[in-house]
Amino acid sequence: MLHIKPIFSSLLHSKSGPLLLLLQIVLSVAIVANASFIIVERLSLMARESGIVENEVFDFSIYHFDKSTDLVVQDKRDLELLRAIPGVIDVAPSSMAPLSGGGWSSNFTLGPEERAKSTPNTGMYMSDEHFIDSLGLKLVEGRNFYPQEITTELLEDGGKMIVTKAFVDKVWPNDSALGKSVYMGAQHFVVIGVVERLQTAWVDNSNVEFSSVLSVNYPADYKRYLVRAKASDIARLKEVIPEILHKEYPSRVIEGFTTISERRIEAYRDHELMATVLTMMVVLLLLITSLGVTGMVMFNIQRRTKQIGTRRALGAKKRDIISYFLVENYLLCLLGGTLGVLLAIQLGQQLMSLYSLPMLALSYPLLTVVGLFVVTTLAVYLPARKAAKISPATATRTV
Amino acid sequence: MLSMKNISKVFKTDLVETHALRDFNLEVSEGEFVAVTGPSGSGKTTFLNIAGLLEGFTHGDYFLDGINVSNLSDNKSAAVRNEKIGFIFQGFNLIPDLNLAENIEVPLRYRGFSAKERNRRVEQALEQVGLAARMKHLPTQLSGGQQQRVAIARALAGEPRFLLADEPTGNLDSLMARQVMELLENINQAGTTIIMVTHDPELARRAQRNIQIVDGQVCDFTMYQANAARSASHGSVDKLVANAQG
Ligand SMILES: Nc1ncnc2c1ncn2[C@@H]1O[C@H](COP(=O)(O)OP(=O)(O)OP(=O)(O)O)[C@@H](O)[C@H]1O
Ligand SMILES: [Mg+2]
Repeated sequence: MLHIKPIFSSLLHSKSGPLLLLLQIVLSVAIVANASFIIVERLSLMARESGIVENEVFDFSIYHFDKSTDLVVQDKRDLELLRAIPGVIDVAPSSMAPLSGGGWSSNFTLGPEERAKSTPNTGMYMSDEHFIDSLGLKLVEGRNFYPQEITTELLEDGGKMIVTKAFVDKVWPNDSALGKSVYMGAQHFVVIGVVERLQTAWVDNSNVEFSSVLSVNYPADYKRYLVRAKASDIARLKEVIPEILHKEYPSRVIEGFTTISERRIEAYRDHELMATVLTMMVVLLLLITSLGVTGMVMFNIQRRTKQIGTRRALGAKKRDIISYFLVENYLLCLLGGTLGVLLAIQLGQQLMSLYSLPMLALSYPLLTVVGLFVVTTLAVYLPARKAAKISPATATRTV
Repeated sequence: MLSMKNISKVFKTDLVETHALRDFNLEVSEGEFVAVTGPSGSGKTTFLNIAGLLEGFTHGDYFLDGINVSNLSDNKSAAVRNEKIGFIFQGFNLIPDLNLAENIEVPLRYRGFSAKERNRRVEQALEQVGLAARMKHLPTQLSGGQQQRVAIARALAGEPRFLLADEPTGNLDSLMARQVMELLENINQAGTTIIMVTHDPELARRAQRNIQIVDGQVCDFTMYQANAARSASHGSVDKLVANAQG
């Protein structure tokens, strides 16, 4: 049975002790709620899939410094060599590496005229018909490029384009994308295929899901390739590929072997660190709060030894003593929790405007209060069980 | 009403064993007012604690209201204390953070009474001890005598079959002590059995029956007196009384 009123009035009569604990609870709820919100935000960002078979794909670059090299011919020859290496599943040239943080992007327009409606900023992969298989993308509509559609001119009118489903949903939400044109200035590309998912190079950008693949394999002295192989073959291929390519043409630099898995870790390093630090903070705060509660209960038990004995003499059962301390601290939690929720919302609004975070979902402060009750129950129960063991004879034996 | 047979209580510490009660035998009938005296450390409080189920004992049997309460579970003895026994302590033992009404309510809440019933009993009990007007006061706002009356009200509110008091006037001056004693006498007259430990021979004499505990054993003084009168050896009785109260 819960006797809230006398416990409450007893709390009101006690001095600063509960007030300090109350303050601690309010602050903890506000901070823990917002921190957990940020943690979950970050973790859900990190959990997004790139659309790529990350552990089976790596990229590397070739840098030609000899200006007399015929880059188109050399690229063709290199691709043939690479695709012939045992263990290589597929290889595609690419203007950028996914999740790498650097590359090409553009705001396309939906018509040739200057004032035409424009698309969100969209990542641009320029590659050939091997791109989809090299990354393990899933084509959900239309078709892949034909080899003869691949041009070497960066800005050739009438090129073909494959886009992500996210891009289609955004730009033509009620319509099929196939056959549609998008423009870069006066020049246009025709959409021939849609892939389920492909992230750009920029994971922190809200447009990360808007990618396009253009049927352009342009010559460049610094050129990047994406290689697909079984994860167990990758270490070997990192050795073999430079050997073979150098043997074919020695005076060039071959560098930067990085799997997409490694790029992911790098891309989310800050998020990971933030999530770790905040998790530690949350655990620490809950620990400090529970220690505060335990300390307070222990102090009160010491102070109220005779009172507890007297209550036992007057007919309190052991469980009445335990529930006294539980109720007392639940009252603190309820009051501190309520104030904490209000402060959490306030803090959330500040963070939202200062760091452009999304709005704090109310479930976070509420769940934090639930967590607080669980922690409090544990923190109270052990010392309270000791209090329940105080002999009723204490009533007559202590002065 | 209360019957103790061959009760013994041994306190064991690392160094010594204290035999606080030895072969302790006592019968108290319904409606009696028993005063318990005896030298310090003779086992009076130990006896009262056992009688009130505040602590267990080492050997013997204890019947309360005809029921053997020697081996009750912790919960059961709490319930018996709550329903049948009222306690009055030397130090009053009021809860300082609660006002008078809330203090008196404490055992009533453990009993599971409704708010209405609790209020009725609190008012009635405070009326009985003459403090009805001060319901909302805190214990510290009262004199010692008043505090002890509140404690008596708390003991009465549960309408117990018997009251146990350990030196209820020990912390009071003689005027207040007399008032408290009068109150206890009225309560006894109304039918409640009372056992009171006291150091005050004057108060003890006002009780219907005096027992003396010496060295953990009962010396039923009234019975002893009768025996002594028969054997006509007054000198030794006086000497014993003098020792006991010394
Ligand atoms: N918890 C305990 N542990 C060990 N010994 C105890 C304990 N409580 C009481 N005693 C011993 O038991 C004996 C009886 O104590 P008790 O308190 O019953 O005496 P008393 O007659 O009430 O004395 P007083 O008149 O001083 O209150 C004493 O020798 C005391 O030291
Ligand atoms: Mg004593």
